Formats: sequence, C-alpha cells, structure tokens
Amino acid sequence: MSAAANGAGVPVVVTGIGVACSIGVGVEPFAASLRAGRTGIRRQDGQVSAPLAGFDFAHAVGAVPGLPQELSRRALRKAGRSLPAVQAAVAAALQAWTGAGLPAADLPGSQVGVVVGGNNVTGAAAYRMAERFRGDPVAVPGRFALHVQDTDHVGVLSEILAITGEGYTVGGAAASGNLAVIHGARMVRSGAARACLVVGAMTELSPVDRQSYLALGAMADPAAAPDDDVLCRPFDTTRRGFVAGEGTAALLLEAEPSARARGVRPLARVAGEAMALSANSLADPSEEVEVAVMSTALARAGARPEQLDYVNTHGTASRLGDEVEAAALRRVLGRDSGAWVNATKALTGHCLCGAGAVEAVATVVQMTHGFVHPNPHLGMPLTGELRFAGRQAEPARIGLALSNGFGFGGLHSAVVFAGEVA
Amino acid sequence: MEQNDIFAMVRGNLSTVIPELDADEITMDATLTDLGCNSIDRAEVVTMTMSDMGIHVPVMEFQEAGDIRSLVRLLARHTA
Repeated sequence: MSAAANGAGVPVVVTGIGVACSIGVGVEPFAASLRAGRTGIRRQDGQVSAPLAGFDFAHAVGAVPGLPQELSRRALRKAGRSLPAVQAAVAAALQAWTGAGLPAADLPGSQVGVVVGGNNVTGAAAYRMAERFRGDPVAVPGRFALHVQDTDHVGVLSEILAITGEGYTVGGAAASGNLAVIHGARMVRSGAARACLVVGAMTELSPVDRQSYLALGAMADPAAAPDDDVLCRPFDTTRRGFVAGEGTAALLLEAEPSARARGVRPLARVAGEAMALSANSLADPSEEVEVAVMSTALARAGARPEQLDYVNTHGTASRLGDEVEAAALRRVLGRDSGAWVNATKALTGHCLCGAGAVEAVATVVQMTHGFVHPNPHLGMPLTGELRFAGRQAEPARIGLALSNGFGFGGLHSAVVFAGEVA
Repeated sequence: MEQNDIFAMVRGNLSTVIPELDADEITMDATLTDLGCNSIDRAEVVTMTMSDMGIHVPVMEFQEAGDIRSLVRLLARHTA
C-alpha cells in the first residue's frame, strides 16, 4: 500500500463523501440503512425498482450538516429549476464538500476540479419533454437545451461551488461512477488539481430505456414473478437480473499534503485503480479482463490479493454478470482469502451511471464505521468458495477494499481504497 | 385577453421560476432582470406564459420588451 506504487505522483485521499439514493439522503442515514440491510427496492405500479422517492431538494440541502447559509441559498437559487438528477447530485456534493471542511478552507477554485461520471442520464427528462412537445411544441422552454445535456451537472456544480479548475463528464455506462473516481484520482495525482469533486450521476430511466433493458434480458422482469417484491438477489442461484435504482453519490478527492495542511483527517486513500476494455461492443462481461483490472488495481496499490479485506462487487444480480464476476473473484482472491464479498445493489438497486460512486461511498462508510452490510436475500449462493456477506451486518475491520464497476460495451474497472491513513 | 389576466400569469410564472421572490416586488414597472432573472429565467417565464395563453410569439420580438408592462402589451397584441 505504499503511496509510490501508483507511480510518481501525489497520494490521493478521500476527505468528504455524500450520497442521495433510495436508502438514504446523507451519509449517516445511508450508513444506518446499510447496517440494517434495509432495501430501497419496492413494487409499485407494476414495476419493481429502488426509486429516490419523496426527494425534496430544499429539504435535502437543509439537512446537510454544517452547510453555511450562503452556500445553501446559492444552491437553492442555482439548482431550483434543475432536473431531479442534478438536484440529487448537488445535495450529495454539498455533503461531501461540507464534510471535507471546504467551505472554511482557503482553497482557490482554480485548484479544484469536478468530474461527473455518466452518459445519457437525461433519457427520462427527454421522454417527459417529448410528451409535453407533442401536446404543445411552444411549451418547451429554452432552459431544456441546457438541462438535456449530461454536462449540466458540471455547470451547475461548478457554479454553486465556485469551481474553476478542470471539469467534464466521463461516460462509461454502468462503470461511469468508477471511471469518475479514476479520472478524479488521476487529476489530483498528476498535480492538475489539488482537489477534485467526483460525482456518479443518477440515471432516471424512461419507459423506453426500461423496455429495452427488459427486452435485452438484463433487467429482472416483475411480470415474470408477480409474487416476488425483492426480485434482486445478487450471487443467488435464483437471481433474475438487475433491478434499477435511482441514486447519486459524491466524493471529494484531495492531494494528501493538501488535506494534511488543512488538518483534515482523510476517510480513506484511493490506493490504486485500473480500467480496461474487452474489445467487445455487447453486454457480456469478460472474466479475463475482470481478473486483469482487479489484479492491476491491486498491484498499483502495492498490495497483494490476500491483503484484501473487502470486495464491493459490481454484483447486479444479472444471470451472466454475477457468474462471471464470481469466477473472476475466485481467481483473483485464491482459495484462502478471508475477504468479504458484498453486493450493495441488493439494497440500492442498480444505480447505473451512479452505481460506482454510490458503492465507493458505501465502501468508505463500511471502512470508517467498521462493518460489512448484509446481502439480505442471498439464500443459495452460486458458489461456496467466496465469503459472501450474509443476512446480518457483521463487524469488520476493513483496511483494504476493492470496488468493481463494469459497463455494457466491454468497460471494466476496479478501484482500491486503503483505510487508516491519517 | 385582458392585460390584467396576462399580468397575473406572468406574476405566477415568475414565482414558479424564482420561488423566493416577494410577490409585492412584481409590478408592471419592474423588469425581469431587476427581479433577479437571468436570460434563461426570462425565456422560461415567457415560454410558460405563451403556453398558458396558447399563443406563439417569435422569440426575437421579446428583445424590445424591457419592463413587465411592455411584455404584457406584446403578449396581448398576439391574442386579438
């Protein structure tokens, strides 16, 4: 876990985290839900999903611990008309920003970057606007030309937080959140920024998106199991496919010397990361490339697989995806590994573009709070060779964790977090 | 459509776009910019009001409309 293992560069730490998803808006509510194994998945109107139900922007901003009034007022004014995904991202970002102590810090905006993971996240909004357009074309506001762009996240976050360093979106389908962490870490490590706000964008599916995932066979079909309201059972032999979740999360990544100079205790270190393609445009994952990214991320962290305490799998509950990931994990971890293998999507649903960031935050929360959250509906694991999290939370000391993120189109990524860095 | 009715629509839409606005500040003599609207806010108030009225006015015409009075008059002209 030496800081130099990632090559010559500045060590990168996590100094703030934030989240807004079906099981919690705010780090402590989210942590409590994780510990309790509370799932946000529910059946409603013939669909099973984990919606960000009842999210109220003003309430979410008001609930950010320690948020200065000026920043609160600014957020409400600048994002009051934004799409739900952007408002949720602002709420998560304010939690991370405030948690990192940045409102009081003397950190010039030009030395801060922002990377938002996500592509095509405005499908549901475009669908709603198309319906309005069919009723009355003139009712489409000019504002929508801004809102329909994924990069609206970048503009709104930068304006609220006065960020004037580098900023952009990184697209990687369901690997987007992880790719944002990877890009943000590299931005800081290279010295291009002292700190970088990393966000995984919330994906709000339109009915068309949903239908295409069902037709592809990737999404669990609620009509095929009318009595099953859980539907999402990662790594269970009875799993049926992924269940969509709505959620976003933010991490404030910072150069370790900067955090030290500010007297801020890091939550974790971004110790290593890896991303690779499998030269495949389809939806199926590659065991070889999964093994490669996990091994490379560990090597870059200067760590050996047997040192791993925890793996936050991509674990969507898809038939093929879980089988391939379990096989890859058996190869990476070996037979004697004591690492917990967990699936946050059992609780949050699959947050798609946001997933990697939500799960990075879930991983850091379990490291700092000392537990492994349940995988509550895992009854018949597809293999006995991995130490899957069970139906109850377990106390755990997690010093080294790995979080996977894979996306359609051959995108594979893994990030290693190391704890106890202060 | 009476200018008073159109003014009421503009006032309602302004409050939607800028919720923290004090309704008493919204007068015929005020400009949308004075009330805190940026260019995107102004365009949205106009779009919402046109939609409420069921009319379409080319965007270019609004460049002349400075205060709310001239905006309301412009919209009223298109309802005849």
